[in-house]
Amino acid sequence: MQRPMSSQVVDERRIVPVDASASPPDDASAYDASDARTTAADTSSDGGRAADALLDVRHLKKYFPIRGGLLRRVVAEVKAVDDVSFTVGRGRTLGLVGESGCGKTTLGRTILRLHEPTAGEILLDGRPITGLSHAELKRRRREMQIVFQDPYGSLNPRRTVLETLREPLDLHRIATPRERRQRVEELLELVGLRPQVLSRYPHEFSGGQRQRIGIARALALDPKLVVADEAVSALDVSVQAQVLNLIAELQRRLGLSLLFISHDLAVVQHLSHDVAVMYLGKIVESGPAARVYSDPKHPYTRALLSAVPVPDPSAKSRRIVLPGDVPSPVSPPSGCPFHPRCPEARPECREIVPRTVTVEPMRRDALRDGAAARSSAPHRVACHLHRESGENGASHAPENEV
Amino acid sequence: MSEPLLSIEDLVVEFRGDAGTIRAVDGLTLSIAPGERVGLVGESGCGKSVTALALLGLVPSPPGRIAGGRVLLDGRDLTALPEAEMRRIRGAGIAMIFQEPMTALNPVFTIGSQMTEVLRRQRRLSAKAARADAIEWLDRVGIPDPAKRLDNYPHELSGGMRQRVMIAMALSCRPKLLIADEPTTALDVTIQAQVLDLMRSLTEETGAAMILITHDLGVVAETCRRACVMYTGKLVEDAPVDALFAAPRHPYTAGLLASVPRIRPDRLETLPTIPGMVPDLAHLPAGCSFRDRCPNAVPACRTAPPKLHPVGPGRVACYNPVAA
Amino acid sequence: MSQAAKEAQKMVSDTVFADDPRKVSGTTFGTSLWSKGLAKLKRDRIGLAAFAVVLVYFLIACGVWLGLIGQDWYVTSDSSFAPASAEHWFGTTRNGQDIFDRAIYSTKVAFEIGLLVAVVTTALGGALGAIGGYFSGTWLDELVLWLMGVLDALPFYLFVAAVAFAMQGHPLGMHVALIATLWTTTGRVVRGEVIKLKSLEFVEAARTIGAPDSLIIFRHILPNTSHILLVQATIVFVTAIKAEVILSFLGIGTQDGVSWGLMLSQSTNEVTIGFFNNFIAASAFLFVLVMAFNLFSDALQDALDPKKVSG
Repeated sequence: MQRPMSSQVVDERRIVPVDASASPPDDASAYDASDARTTAADTSSDGGRAADALLDVRHLKKYFPIRGGLLRRVVAEVKAVDDVSFTVGRGRTLGLVGESGCGKTTLGRTILRLHEPTAGEILLDGRPITGLSHAELKRRRREMQIVFQDPYGSLNPRRTVLETLREPLDLHRIATPRERRQRVEELLELVGLRPQVLSRYPHEFSGGQRQRIGIARALALDPKLVVADEAVSALDVSVQAQVLNLIAELQRRLGLSLLFISHDLAVVQHLSHDVAVMYLGKIVESGPAARVYSDPKHPYTRALLSAVPVPDPSAKSRRIVLPGDVPSPVSPPSGCPFHPRCPEARPECREIVPRTVTVEPMRRDALRDGAAARSSAPHRVACHLHRESGENGASHAPENEV
Repeated sequence: MSEPLLSIEDLVVEFRGDAGTIRAVDGLTLSIAPGERVGLVGESGCGKSVTALALLGLVPSPPGRIAGGRVLLDGRDLTALPEAEMRRIRGAGIAMIFQEPMTALNPVFTIGSQMTEVLRRQRRLSAKAARADAIEWLDRVGIPDPAKRLDNYPHELSGGMRQRVMIAMALSCRPKLLIADEPTTALDVTIQAQVLDLMRSLTEETGAAMILITHDLGVVAETCRRACVMYTGKLVEDAPVDALFAAPRHPYTAGLLASVPRIRPDRLETLPTIPGMVPDLAHLPAGCSFRDRCPNAVPACRTAPPKLHPVGPGRVACYNPVAA
Repeated sequence: MSQAAKEAQKMVSDTVFADDPRKVSGTTFGTSLWSKGLAKLKRDRIGLAAFAVVLVYFLIACGVWLGLIGQDWYVTSDSSFAPASAEHWFGTTRNGQDIFDRAIYSTKVAFEIGLLVAVVTTALGGALGAIGGYFSGTWLDELVLWLMGVLDALPFYLFVAAVAFAMQGHPLGMHVALIATLWTTTGRVVRGEVIKLKSLEFVEAARTIGAPDSLIIFRHILPNTSHILLVQATIVFVTAIKAEVILSFLGIGTQDGVSWGLMLSQSTNEVTIGFFNNFIAASAFLFVLVMAFNLFSDALQDALDPKKVSG
């Protein structure tokens, strides 16, 4: 991996693999039984971890009105995001997976206030970012940035790299004008590009390089949260791997919290500490990535995981083929939105919307190398097949949908 | 192997651009047996899609042209055929499925009219017979309520259904060879699974051979018997799928397989990557075009582009292939 | 075009600018889309020839502005209806005025109309079209569309006559009328383009970093329509000149001085008595300029269109 390049612009040597001890522990060894009861009794959404959370989304809804008729009255609504709650811890990556129409892109953009939420609260670093004045919102925008999917559309074709990267600094009057150029060069270095590229235009770069520029732009304002919306989906396989490594390394180095939105389950697993699976505007399952991938509870998650084509012809696929297509978010099915396609549907699934229950409470891992105790997210499912569980199998009352 | 269905011999496709002429396909040699399913894999710019166009005689002619080689379908050289003959081959001899089902189907015509048009032209059926055939094919590809669907417009169907319609249209002419260019890339993964299963079973039933063009190695592993890897317009490895994935011989294939993220029980810290970028087709390095990124490079790689030679169960174009 | 063919095309244009180690030595500056377009234009022989002709006309107009040539267009003499001669290249009018000088002077008048109308309509159409497009679906867009609709619904010549009348024969009356009617086409075209552009991700990116709408519209989106604006400007230039001819025919065009339109309208009487010089002079000058400008406009459109394949 540390090899001289044919292209001299991308300097891969800057990407140094970080040693394993810096990554958050995922293994299953340390489990403190006493916490199970604490979390169940705790009324806050994730049992005392709210203080740890950089991003706290509560009952977020985003509905798009459909207008029709002569007077353009609202005739229906697209329930793109339908009562979603989750948190992203400091320095952690939450992978948001789902297929098209599940609302993950809308969710990402609503969190960034590119859309107006229809209902719900979003707290960034403990303070709400909904209901702010224009000037306040502009100031808070510095804390959250986005990397887009399309490397060809995400950069203004008429601006040089320098102009594109300077703009956020100019807008927020960061540093002196002379210092801004230096800061831009630092950003380029961070993403593995040489300063020579500053005077060039987007069409002179490859997709991977443009994506790096997009990442540099996202980092220009020193954000705490970065939303990556299918950031590698439009890239070739080999370039994808490079950019994934870059994102992972930047996250570790800068301590960013990352909301990684993707339809690609393998990519999400590689990059995420925690995972949330969306279907038709709702989160159907969430938890630590290792747990959700190895022991998926929701039938949709299971079907999704089994459908991923594996580059290994000898792997016999026990594929769960779901019938039909994803229904439209305009008229979602009653009860559990997944019930028409669910291989394990029961009568109540058609009637009652399932609540989110915790199947595996939060665990505190032992202190390790002096690193602060990190807690793994609880494993949660919204499905009638599962009940709230504790360590000794005693069933607690299911939490209210949080 | 008995007489191959399709035999590509030293195919060269050139494009004229602002900076000169580039070879999108550079000396491709490949044969496909009847009923065989072959995956054509590579990243963007490797020439796989241009190859498909060349087979059908659809290379856009002002900037591009077939500059050399032959394409033999059942012994007939397609590159030498006049356009009228090629039109007869398209559909009945070779059929193609595209990536974007929305733009491949004409949005202002119903599904029924598009399907029957194809059937009436290619197989000279009457309107009634064509309609019956179309219904039967829609049923075969698993579309519920096929008779009603004939009167739907493409935008009224989901992406997965549209792709099934495309498959039905392509196979209804009983082609000997089906070329599918990234057929499931635009589809969700659960739908992708359905469509791939369908393509596999239908080609087996009808006996059609298939060239599946994709960048997704997982798709190739599940659907194809044989895989051909392309890089900068050249075929670098051609092997049965089991051998290719278990023991890739070309360093590019090996690098590609290693860098694909896959769902593992243990998370990797960093993905292995192929250093550098795909070189500019207008400025390829002398010798093997992969040499500047290759961990196995030897001095011979600078001399001339390596030729395909048999290695193990397949062929590799490399002076220093990966050890088995 | 199929996805594969599109990819093949992209490959052609991409390979030219994909990362070339030789280019990254730092000695090559970035080539903007403008310079790419200009380079393409330079290869278009017809376009270049047309541009050369337009340039000649422009220089003539400059000459008149600077007082170097065509200054004696109004000087009368006794030799009325003189045929072409060494002294009067196109002969003289009824009043003994030199036709060639009048035609030269009219070039300046034509350019005045063309440039003024083109520049102002482009600015007006660009700004209003961009605002309408960016805020499409809201009352602001409805307002812009309504305005465009109303102006388009008015019969062109009646409207010009009304404005000319209202401005009491002011020399710029015709210009105002032309601007008021011709900006709508530019406005519509820009509005359509802006609607497409505003959903692109670099616009969302600008919003994410906190850019206000005004900055996004005028510094991000509008520059990306500049190729359209330029082509529209050339079209309006020609339209304005041609409109002036007809307006002068109707007597509501050029009020003072002389223009090709006035020359043509005067010539209608003269051709009946067999004197064609006025007619030929004005027509020739007008035709060549319009033809050249149209060809140049086509070439410009081809060169600046980001989607066209070169060569």
